[in-house]
Amino acid sequence: MSTLDHPQVESSLEGFLKAVRPRLKAAFARYRIPPQDTEDILQQALMALIHHQEEIRDPEAWLLGTVRNKCLLYWREQRRRLYESVDAAVLEAIAEPVGPAQESSHLQHDLAQALERLPERCRSLLWMRYRQGYDPPELAERLGYSPSSISKVTTRCLAALTRHLFASGIYRRKVE
Amino acid sequence: MKAGPHPEPGVLEQFVLGRLSPQEMRETARHLLAGCPRCQEVTAVLWEPADVFEDPQTLATAEISEDAAYDAVLDRVFERVAAVESLLAGQRAAGRRLYEELMQCPAERRHLLLANCQRFRNRMLCERLIEASYEACFEDPRRAVDVARLAVAAVGRLEADDCGGGEALDGLRARAWAHLGNAHRTSFDLQNAEAAFTTVEALLNESQISLAEKAKVLSLLASWRKVQRRFAEAQQIFDRVAALYKRLGQWDLLGRTLLQKALVCGEAGDGEGEMRLLRRALDLIDPQSDPRTFLAARHNLINALYESGRVREAFALLYHTRPLYLQAGDRMNLLRLRWLEGLVAFGLQRIDQAEAAFREVREAFLELGLGYEAALAALDLAGVYVVQGRGADVSRVAEETLKIFQSYNTHREAIAALLVFCAAARLDRAGLDLVRQVSTFLKRARNNPDLRFSAPS
Repeated sequence: MSTLDHPQVESSLEGFLKAVRPRLKAAFARYRIPPQDTEDILQQALMALIHHQEEIRDPEAWLLGTVRNKCLLYWREQRRRLYESVDAAVLEAIAEPVGPAQESSHLQHDLAQALERLPERCRSLLWMRYRQGYDPPELAERLGYSPSSISKVTTRCLAALTRHLFASGIYRRKVE
Repeated sequence: MKAGPHPEPGVLEQFVLGRLSPQEMRETARHLLAGCPRCQEVTAVLWEPADVFEDPQTLATAEISEDAAYDAVLDRVFERVAAVESLLAGQRAAGRRLYEELMQCPAERRHLLLANCQRFRNRMLCERLIEASYEACFEDPRRAVDVARLAVAAVGRLEADDCGGGEALDGLRARAWAHLGNAHRTSFDLQNAEAAFTTVEALLNESQISLAEKAKVLSLLASWRKVQRRFAEAQQIFDRVAALYKRLGQWDLLGRTLLQKALVCGEAGDGEGEMRLLRRALDLIDPQSDPRTFLAARHNLINALYESGRVREAFALLYHTRPLYLQAGDRMNLLRLRWLEGLVAFGLQRIDQAEAAFREVREAFLELGLGYEAALAALDLAGVYVVQGRGADVSRVAEETLKIFQSYNTHREAIAALLVFCAAARLDRAGLDLVRQVSTFLKRARNNPDLRFSAPS
């Protein structure tokens, strides 16, 4: 049990922050949150802590748990943006009208190779999206997904494609 | 595809963070799509942050290089938080004062004040109202409803800035509604309880709510589902609550949640599941910091052991738990102990000990004006008489219990169940099965006035 357990919270906030500081820094470093982005995460977590201090029995565990969770959410949000960007980039590249025929052919080849390495479900979905121009409601209908779940499935497939782009080894490990 | 010139590592990092212009994003994606091994080496490190820390050397390097930058951020945030914290302490005191002032006004004026008086637009007042409603649930459910309505009205006037952000306001609103539903539940107004919890569900779906707040709200919702006897849903919701507390590292609250979930299992007739969950809960609840919850979990486990016929185990655990009851020391806990002693003695065929305990408990509950508990203890006493073949005593206890019930309670179906029991006792046909059936019904009907008693054929 932390020393910040209420009702001593108000008087020992300074001491608590001092004590928890190294662990907060380690958590942010662990999750590789850029320093400029830690400000929002930390402020939100600490504000929630002081607003709910009367109900929180172990503030240190609570704070670190919350920060960890917010870091994961941060990366989830970054990933979502990244997938959207990759998707847009691929669509734009395919649709680009000005490229020479050879370049276009290279692109189709590279894309086909990239898709080839994805799981079957993603391969068909992305193939229909990039090669046949289906939009999400059409994909849902063609592939038998509910309209509400197609967005999640598409995101998962874009994640797989992005992982392939980055070749981080995660995808390769799964295949192996 | 032409791979093009290699992007700088900094550009790749910005790409991972989705911070490049659309044109740059597209170009980088195309470069990577061609499978450039040199750039992939860079992006591989950026992709999965947690992987990096499988190598402690990398962790140390990361910490050192970022140390100063993190320090500056932490300093700024700590300073702001300290200022807000001091402001909050003042607001809390003001909230308590406003609550006292509001409750001193006639009931009909309270909503007017909340709607029209700027002073009462206060988050801490709302918090205090929620707290007061919860406390009143145990003693005066109608008052709990009134106070929860005030909390809902109070939160309706707040804006995001009053609460330190939209997330906090949404969380407070959901909690106020959940407590209104809970108050309706305890006053057996099931229709309004359902209406309030429907609002809660809509708020949970529409709003961004902190995990801690969500866990509290979901916990009340799960308890409501339990009362509705929608056990599968209740268990699923408690699982979500448990997962949230796990993520937040709130092990004691996780323990409490398992304790609540165990009650659902018990109600659903899954005695084994109930005991398994209670044992897990006992591992998580700290007996030093939360002795009452620990005792409640032990009490429920002993009861579950008794109910499942494992009377010797129940006896052993009761022996080890007795000091905790005595330590708690309040009359209710001592009465619960005595009652449990009676049940275990009955299970061990120590009939005289059981009779003495049940008598004692029944009289004490009557003295405290707790008619329902007295009736339940009386039924246990009747069970003892049935086993002893004391038909006249069974009939006497049955009539006394009916009288107690008629004077304390207006629950029609419970009275109907007792009438059936009385009629059987008069004819000397009240067996142990009927006693148990009526007792089980009374326990269930307490939280569910819609439950109907079906007389045995």
